[in-house]
Order: sequence, then structure tokens, then C-alpha cells
Amino acid sequence: MNALRDAGIEMIPYLIAFVVGYLMPWRKEWFERFAVGSVAALSVAFVLGLWPDKAVEVAETRPEEWGHLLNLIVFLPLIAAIAVVFLPRQSPKLLKQFTMVVLGVDFLASLALLGVPMSEGWHFQYVTEWVPSLGIRYHVAIDGISVWLVLLSTLSTPIALHVSFGSIKKRTKELCFAFLMLHGAMMGAFVSLDLFLFFVFWELMLVPMILIIGIWGGVEKIKASYKFFLYTMAGSMMMLAAILYMAWVFHSIEGYWTFDYLALKRLVLPEDAAFWCFAGFALAFLIKVPMFPFHTWLPDAHVQAPTGGSIILAAVLLKLGTYGYIRFCMGMFEGPAWEASATLAGVAVAGGIFYGALCAWKQSDIKRLVAYSSVAHLGFVMLGLFSGTHAGVSGAIVQMINHGISTGALFLLVGVIYDRRHTRQIADFGGLAKVMPVYTALFVLVTMASVGVPGTNGFVGEFMVIMGTMVSDSLGRHATPAAVGASFGVILAALYMLSMVQRVFFGPLNNPKNEKLTDINSRELVAVAPLVALIFVFGLFPNILLSRMNDSVGATVRHLAEGRIAYEAHAGATTAKLRPKRGGPWEAGHPSPPQVADVAVALNAGADK
Amino acid sequence: MIDLFIALSPLLTVGFGGLLLMLAEALGKPANNTGMSPDGAVVVDAGAGRSEELGLLATVILFSGAASSMGVWLADPATLGVELVSPWLQVDRYSLFFSFILCISGGLCTLLGGGYLEEHKIDRGEFFTLVVFSTVGAIALGFAGDLLTVFVALETMSLGVYCMIGLRRSSPRAGEAALKYFLLGSFAAAIMMFGAALLYAATGHTDLAGIGAFVGGLGGEASGETAMVIVGMLLMLIGMAFKISAVPFHMWAPDAYEGAPTPTTSFMAAAVKTAAFAVLLRILLIAFGDPRLMSWGAGWPPVMACLSVLSMTIANVIAGRQSSVKRMLAYSSISHAGYLLMGVCAAMRLPEEASASVMFYLAGYCISTIGAFGALILCGSRGKEAVSYADLAGIGRRHPAAAAAFALFVISLAGMPPTAGFFGKLYVFRATIDAELYSLAIIGLLNSIVGAYYYMKVLVFMYMREPIPGAPIAIPMRSSMVVSALIIAAALVVAIGVLPGALLEMAAVAAAALS
Amino acid sequence: MVDSYLPMFLTFAISLIACTVMFTFGHFLGPKNPSPAKNMPFECGNDTEGAKFTRMNVKFYLTAILFVVFDIEVVFIYPWAVLFKGLGWVGFATMLMFIVSLLVALVYTWKKGGLEWES
Repeated sequence: MNALRDAGIEMIPYLIAFVVGYLMPWRKEWFERFAVGSVAALSVAFVLGLWPDKAVEVAETRPEEWGHLLNLIVFLPLIAAIAVVFLPRQSPKLLKQFTMVVLGVDFLASLALLGVPMSEGWHFQYVTEWVPSLGIRYHVAIDGISVWLVLLSTLSTPIALHVSFGSIKKRTKELCFAFLMLHGAMMGAFVSLDLFLFFVFWELMLVPMILIIGIWGGVEKIKASYKFFLYTMAGSMMMLAAILYMAWVFHSIEGYWTFDYLALKRLVLPEDAAFWCFAGFALAFLIKVPMFPFHTWLPDAHVQAPTGGSIILAAVLLKLGTYGYIRFCMGMFEGPAWEASATLAGVAVAGGIFYGALCAWKQSDIKRLVAYSSVAHLGFVMLGLFSGTHAGVSGAIVQMINHGISTGALFLLVGVIYDRRHTRQIADFGGLAKVMPVYTALFVLVTMASVGVPGTNGFVGEFMVIMGTMVSDSLGRHATPAAVGASFGVILAALYMLSMVQRVFFGPLNNPKNEKLTDINSRELVAVAPLVALIFVFGLFPNILLSRMNDSVGATVRHLAEGRIAYEAHAGATTAKLRPKRGGPWEAGHPSPPQVADVAVALNAGADK
Repeated sequence: MIDLFIALSPLLTVGFGGLLLMLAEALGKPANNTGMSPDGAVVVDAGAGRSEELGLLATVILFSGAASSMGVWLADPATLGVELVSPWLQVDRYSLFFSFILCISGGLCTLLGGGYLEEHKIDRGEFFTLVVFSTVGAIALGFAGDLLTVFVALETMSLGVYCMIGLRRSSPRAGEAALKYFLLGSFAAAIMMFGAALLYAATGHTDLAGIGAFVGGLGGEASGETAMVIVGMLLMLIGMAFKISAVPFHMWAPDAYEGAPTPTTSFMAAAVKTAAFAVLLRILLIAFGDPRLMSWGAGWPPVMACLSVLSMTIANVIAGRQSSVKRMLAYSSISHAGYLLMGVCAAMRLPEEASASVMFYLAGYCISTIGAFGALILCGSRGKEAVSYADLAGIGRRHPAAAAAFALFVISLAGMPPTAGFFGKLYVFRATIDAELYSLAIIGLLNSIVGAYYYMKVLVFMYMREPIPGAPIAIPMRSSMVVSALIIAAALVVAIGVLPGALLEMAAVAAAALS
Repeated sequence: MVDSYLPMFLTFAISLIACTVMFTFGHFLGPKNPSPAKNMPFECGNDTEGAKFTRMNVKFYLTAILFVVFDIEVVFIYPWAVLFKGLGWVGFATMLMFIVSLLVALVYTWKKGGLEWES
């Protein structure tokens, strides 16, 4: 009886596939449906046959955490994206509802991540083999840093899509597909702990984003999407070279292949190799952030992208650059990251905070202004990371979340006015406060957050970054100038944001086209309300963020210092070495050598000869 | 005895299948709509106007060839009494891997041909017979372990392709393409033959293992034999560089690819190139696998590295400037030859890993490139064949399914996840980095950025641009055969891209069988 | 290596010298007395007429190539017949396959009209 039951359980995936195939509304005749169903069942057999069935034991599972939660969050949107392909394009309503439901479920699922305290170590970890012969594993987990970015994304994507549905009426199917794909890829990138898996998700984000910019964008959309694509591609190729090199070095020391972050983190490379690998990773992330002088794709991409695309770009995609820097550059190349931080901090202050602010000041297009303000804000984030202190790194992460919320809201509000007037030139407006009072109030509030007025979230992040920079060891004697420069940057932010607000919303209403403008409607209000609420929540109770990230940031900073010491102790060596395992919760899930070192050898032993 | 025929069954299945196809073509009833002569006269020909039926038969034959390759693979060829045909034909898992890929590629091409030839009114039944016999030659090239069988197989493969290029007799471009390919192909074969003659003169062997043993026994000092071996090797390599269309021996490729009917182009880009790489790897590793010939100082790695860098760089730069998608794909196939040669170069230090990577890359590349050409076929119809980028404008809106398929294959060619091309590229680059050829790997990575530009151009035209008002619009064709070829190719590309494990292990085993 | 090829090079050299000498002497020593009839191209005693290059009917080539194909089979069958016993059943089966493929080729040519001269 048991055998029968097991057999029945094994049949479940095939049966599901068959039923889904049978119910597909393409064909009428029963035998055609039957054929489609059989093909679906066969495909499942094919996929299951390909799937490596070697189980991997995770070091310690936390009983209160459901292991598949992250899988659900990552793969639900991806599977839904594939499902969207098969939904009829004639019914945009169905597509919209389906997509929103999926993203809503994803958001609710991600809220469950907050259910456990983010203590030391990885949470919701899930490991399984993916491509055993190359040593690639599917390894996902979150810590106190990535949990916030995951939540930020699951919140931003539905909002961005909701806004897009308001302004975009054509090609809804492609829109739903691109957003779901992008969302799944971003989630995957935030939770991956296998470098290869990270790279896959990192690349997977590219195509949906260029489609979003290129299909629904503005006049210069094609140029902008080329620029975005080629910049990102250039960065990621160098990162790929570095990943492959590190995996090879690990293989030559330990004798087995792995791309796992926890394993490669243990490598202590000689100076040259460490520098070039760091450069490969840093280039990819600094382009994505973007930091001066690689920021030139950003204004174009932001201005040309539709509102929804801009929100995603500002709120989440740029965060991947900063997140990648914390996780991978600071996590794996402690020595070079430490050595380069003074120089890079100078670039962040001069090129990011100052230059970005000055550029923003002179813009005549509101969206371009907000785009340059992003460059300035991310300069703060990077400065916090370069400082390498607990306060600085926490501030940088808080600032990442804040920037996502407030700049996302700003793009949303700029989109509102663009939908009504089809222009974004500051000169075309003036005195809007008289015709759109609610809108003006919201805009001013969000501007305050962006400027960093105390009581809003922006203040907390910037304050902590400056405080952390002031006491930074890694910046040495450059710490004080950098901190002073950054505080001066806050003043500049007030200058350009407030002068824009003044010119657009106050003064005389002298353009007759603006007299008939309607105030913000309920759809837009629904979209912006959660962001505005969060501005105050995080502004007044920053401890919600800080308490959960405290342990992770502490570990990051501690590991940075330890790694630097190991790196300096290794100075002058020509070969790489492997740092002993640290043990403890931060190395749970570390790959172990496979039973037989090389699959090719293993298979060969049984093959001909 | 039966064992031997079982071991040779991939070759025999496809070969006798070809004969069956000939009979089916000659003895079948001519279709009614046979108005395919250039001057409009009705030509009574038994094979004409039956593309669908013959194409389907050819596909079945080639896929059963793939199945029998798989069967022999599982049965372990070493136990099948294959020493009788050794060293002329080497039946090992290496050659079976290639015969599997080649049969699949050939089968996809005949599926494409079934739709294309009918749509464009050049439905001559010879096409399918020629594809099948060319595939026989290609499979034999994978099996070949002797310079004589190499030559015979190479010519068997090429002869069919010459005719397939010139299939559209009324078109002067097709004639030019066929003639160009024929002349340069024979020239290359002659050069290769000369190299083979020199090698025989120097070593007294025509079998690759014998040459390898002789070369291994040569002393370090310069002698007449050493000089002849090196010259012979270079001539052989030049001959093969023509077949894989590596720069600077590529000049025939763009014209031939563009002038040929698209299914032929896909066959050339996929199967011919794959077979040439199969024999290239075998010759380099078996006949010239001596440590001295596998070094930077003297031997083939610097030659291969030069060819690789030139192929990648020049082809990528030129491909970016094309306005015809077909020509762009031709140049892209040259640049892929460059990436593959990078893997071949890496075989100097890591023969097994590098050849496994090349084989895996070839599998992914074949399917994606056939898919890309197939999607190009699908985007046009009799009134207007889709050739240039402008023809693709707005396809994404008007015919989303065709555009989605094209996008998938182009993404795979660009080497982005979740496709087969991504893992192929990754594996080849990993082999190159592991072989400590860092500068080669960096050049390759930079090139793949350049490559990404023109692949993205396809996406841009399909999804982001609209056709110029008034210009003739290419209307996608309807053909269940082309569609099924694309579905098979797409499924394989995604399956290999998401779960590459099985194929990777196969490639590793196959590569291990080589040494 | 040079030693072993020396006789061949010598043969080349001697034949080259002999030819050169003969032609040179013939050219200078022979009497020259040109006339229109002598300058005409000579072809089997008839006067030449028509264009220099005429296109031959493709059937000639087809017939020629078919002749070569079916003629060559003898080249393979003859040594096989000599070694028939030594090759055994493998040899028999192989030759059977060879003959069958030729047979199919013949049928194909026939049905496709390759053997018809008229039409």
C-alpha cells in the first residue's frame, strides 16, 4: 500500500502538467487537448530527468524558518512571467490582475521574512546542487542587509507597475512579462550566495529593463537603452572574468570546483590578482550604482524610461550596485577595498555628491534633475560604504532604502505631471500649487525627505553616513575633509531641490495650459501613499531598520577588518592561500568537497577503457 | 560482426536513410504544383513540390540517426568490436557526441527547409537528400581517425553543401555564392591534401595516432622531418580554418551565407562548422598532441590564438556595421568560431576540460544559430523575405511569437542567461582562464560586449522601432514545419540553459574519450 | 633528405635542358616559309568554323560522370573478389551495402530522366 502511495505521489507533477496542458484554451478537439497534455507531461519528465537529484545537507536549518520561502519569492514572479506568455493578449484586464495578484502575493510572502529576528548568520537558507559538474549550487539566503532590499523591491515593483498601468495603454502583455521577469531577477540577485547564481540573475535583469526603456520610453529611448545595455554589459563581463579566476584559484588549492560566496570569501589572493579581481567586481558595481565617471548612462536612462521603469531603476536596480559592493567587494576583497577606499571616497564626494548636485542644479528638465540627484544621493551611500565603520555602513544601507523610497516617490510624482502635460520642463510650469494643492503638498513632503530634513527618513541616513565617515579608519586623514564635503553636499541638495519646487509650484500661474490641470487622482494617490507613509515611519523610528541590520553590519565591518589583516599578512606572496574556516553562523552552508573530486574523472572511471 | 554494424549505426542509419529518401523522391508521385522552373515552364520532376513530405521523412531519418548515436553511446562503443575499422573510423564517445549534435542540427535544418522551400517556390526534393548525405559526411568527419578518411568525409560533406547553396538557380547571387564556396572550398581541400601529403612523407603514416607517435619520437633538434611536420601541420590547419571560416580565411563566408537559401545557411553555420571543429580537435590533440607542439614557442597554440583573436575582433566589428541580418548572422558565426578557437587554444594546457568546453559550446551554438536563422525565415514570406534589420521593424508588435523566438535565440547567441549560449560561453571562458590564457580571455570578454551590441540591435528593431511608412512589409509566413523546428530549438536552448548538467557531463565524458 | 631526392632532381634538370636545347635549335635552325594555309589552325583536315567556345549539352557531362561512377565500382569489386574468403561475412555485408547504394543511385538516375538522351 505504501509503495502504491509513493508511486501516486511521484505521479503528481506529471498529472498537474497534463491537466494544465489539457485545459489550455488553444485547441478544441479532445484528442488535440490530450496530445498537448501528453506533451506537457513528457516535458515534465524531461525536466525532472535533467534535474540533478543529489541532495545537499545544509549545516543547520533553523526550525522556525520555512526553507522554501526565498524560493517562493524568487520563482513566483519568474514562473508567472512564463505564464504571462501564454495568457491571451486580447484581455489586458486579466493580464493586469494576474500580474498584480502575483506581485501582491510576493510582497506578502516577503513580509514573512520580518517574522524572525535577524540574528547573526544567514536566514532562510536553502542550498541544492544545480550544475554539479561545474560546482555551481543554488544557494540562497538573506541577512539583515539584504532583507531590507528584498522588501524594498517587493514594495516598489507593484507600485511601479500600478503607476505604469495608468499611463501605458499599449502592449500590456509585454509590460507584465518584463516587470515580472525583472522582479524575479532582482529578487534572485539580492538573495544569491553563489557567485554564479548571482551573475545569472544579474544578467537576467538586463533584457527586461532594456525592453521597458526601449518600448515604452521617450523620444531618445533607443539610444538610452543601448547605453544602459552596453555599460552594464561591459561591467558584468569583467566581473565574470574575476569570478572564473577566483573559482579556478579555489579549485587549484582545494581540488574541487565551487562558486560559493562563503568558500571564495576565504581566498586570500596575492596583491596583483586581488587588485584586478577587485577591479573587475568594483567596475561592474560602480557602473550600476552609478558612480562618477560611469554615471553618464543614468540621466539618459531615467529621462527616457517610462515612469514605472524609472521607479524600478531608482528604487531597486541602482541598489544592486551598492548591495553588490557591500556583499562582494567588501566581503571578498577586504584588502584592496580598504586600500582603495580613500581614493574612491574622494571620487564619491567630488564626483558624486558635488558634481551630481551641481549638475542637478542646472537642469531644466525635472526628471533629469531627479536623476542627477540620484547620483548625489548614491554618492552618500558609497561614501558610507567606503568609510568601513559600523555607523557609516548602517547609514549607507538606511540611505539606500531611503533613496529607494523618496526618489521612487519623486519619479512617480514627476510622472503624474508628465501624464497631464506631456512636458517636464521646469520653465513650462509655475504656480501649480493653486490648481493642484494635494499634489503640491505631497511633492513638497517628498522633497523634504530627499533633502534630508530632520523627521524624515533622509535625515537619518545622511547623518549616520557623515558621522561614520568622520571616525573612519580606512579613510585615514581624508576622513574629516570627506565628512565636511559631504555635509556641504546636503546644503547643495536643499539648494537644487527647493529652487526647483519654488519654480514649479509657487509664483504666478502664468502658463494658460496649466490652468485646467486636475489634481492627483485616486490611482496615483494609492501608489504614492505607502511611500509617503514610509518616509515618516523610517524618519521617526529608524530603529525598525537599524535593529534588524545591526548584527549583519557588525559582521560585515568585523570581517572587513579581519580580512584586511589577513591580506596584509599575506603581502608579498605570489600564490593565493585559503584562510581557515571561521566557523559559526556566517559560514553555515559552506560547500564541502564532493565525494569524487571531478565528475569527468568519476564518469570516466566507469566509461570505456 | 553485428556489433560492428551496431557501432556504426549512426552513420549507416543516416546513410541508408539518404538512399531511402532518394527512392522516395524518385518513385513518388509528382505534385501538381510544380511550376518552379525559372522561366515559368512547368517542369515534370518527381521530387518537386513535395517539400513537406520529403522534409518530414528527412527529419525522421536524421532524428533516428541522433537516437542511434545515443543508443551506441549508452551501449559503450568500446565493447562493440570497433577495432576492425580503427584507425580509419574511430567509434568512441567523442565521435558519438558529435554525431548526435550533427544529426539534431541536420534534422532541424530539414524541418526549416520543408517550410522554406515550399514558401519560396524552390521546392526541389534534392535538397533533403543533399542535407542527409552532407550530414553523413559530417558524421564521418567526426569519426575519422585517418587523414584519408578525413579527406573523403570532408569532401562528402562539402559536395552536398555546394549544391545546396546554388539551389535557387534563377538567382545570380546564389550562383555566385555557390561558385565562391566551391572554388575556395576546393582550394582549401587541396591545401589540406598537400599538408597531408607532407605529413605522410615525413612520418610514413596517414593515421592520426601513428603520426602522433612518430612526432612524439622525434628528437628535439631541427631536422628535415621536423620541418616537414610543421609545414604539413600548418597547411592542414589552414585547410581547416577555411572550413570553420576563421579570419583571415573567412572571405567566402558572408557571401556564401547570404546568397544561399536560409536553411542551407543554417546548415553551413551549424553542422559544417561543428564537424570541422570535431576533426580539428582530434587532429590537434591526437596527431599534434606532443608537448613540444602544444607550447607557445613552437607549435599550433600561437597560430590558433592569432586566428581566434582575429576572428573575434574583426568579425564582431564588421558584424556591427551590417544592415542585413543574414549577413550579420554570418559574421556572428565567424566570431563564434573565434570564441571556439579560444577553447581550442586552451586545450594546449588542459586538453580534456577545454575540448569538453568546445563541445558543449558547439551544441548550444548549433541549436541557437539554427534557431536564429529559422526565426529569420519565419519573419518573412514569399512576397518579401526578411533580410535586413528594417524588415524586422515592428515584428514584435505584429507577430509576437516569431519575435519572441528570435529574441530568445539572439539572447542565446549573445551568451546571456537563461540560455544554452550562456553556459557555453561560460564554460569556454572558464577553460581559457584555467589554462592561464588571461589576455585571450579578456579579449574574448571585450569582444562579447561588442557582440552584444549587434545582437541587441535585433531586439531594438523588433520591439522598439516601427517600419518606415510605405516600405514593403515582410509578413511572417505560416508553416507548421518551421514552427515545430523553432519550438524544438527553443525548448532545447532553454533546457540546456537552465539544467546544463546532463549535457556538461556528456561533454566531459566525450572529451575524456579523445585522449 | 636531399640525397634521396637527388635522382629526381637530376631527371628534372636533364629533361629541362634537353627540351630547351631542342626547341632553341629548332627555332633558329629550321627554315621559315609562312603562308596563309599553313597559319590556319589544323583540325582533322576540315576547315574550322563557328565560334571558338560552344556550349556542350549538359547530357554529355552527365553521361560521362555516370560512366565514371559505375566504372569505379569495378575498382572496388575486383580486389574484394580476390580477397573474398579472407574478408568473410563482414566483407560480404559491406560489399552488399555498396552495391545497394549504387543500385539506388541507378534507379534514381533512371527515374529522374538522367538516362534519356531525347527530350
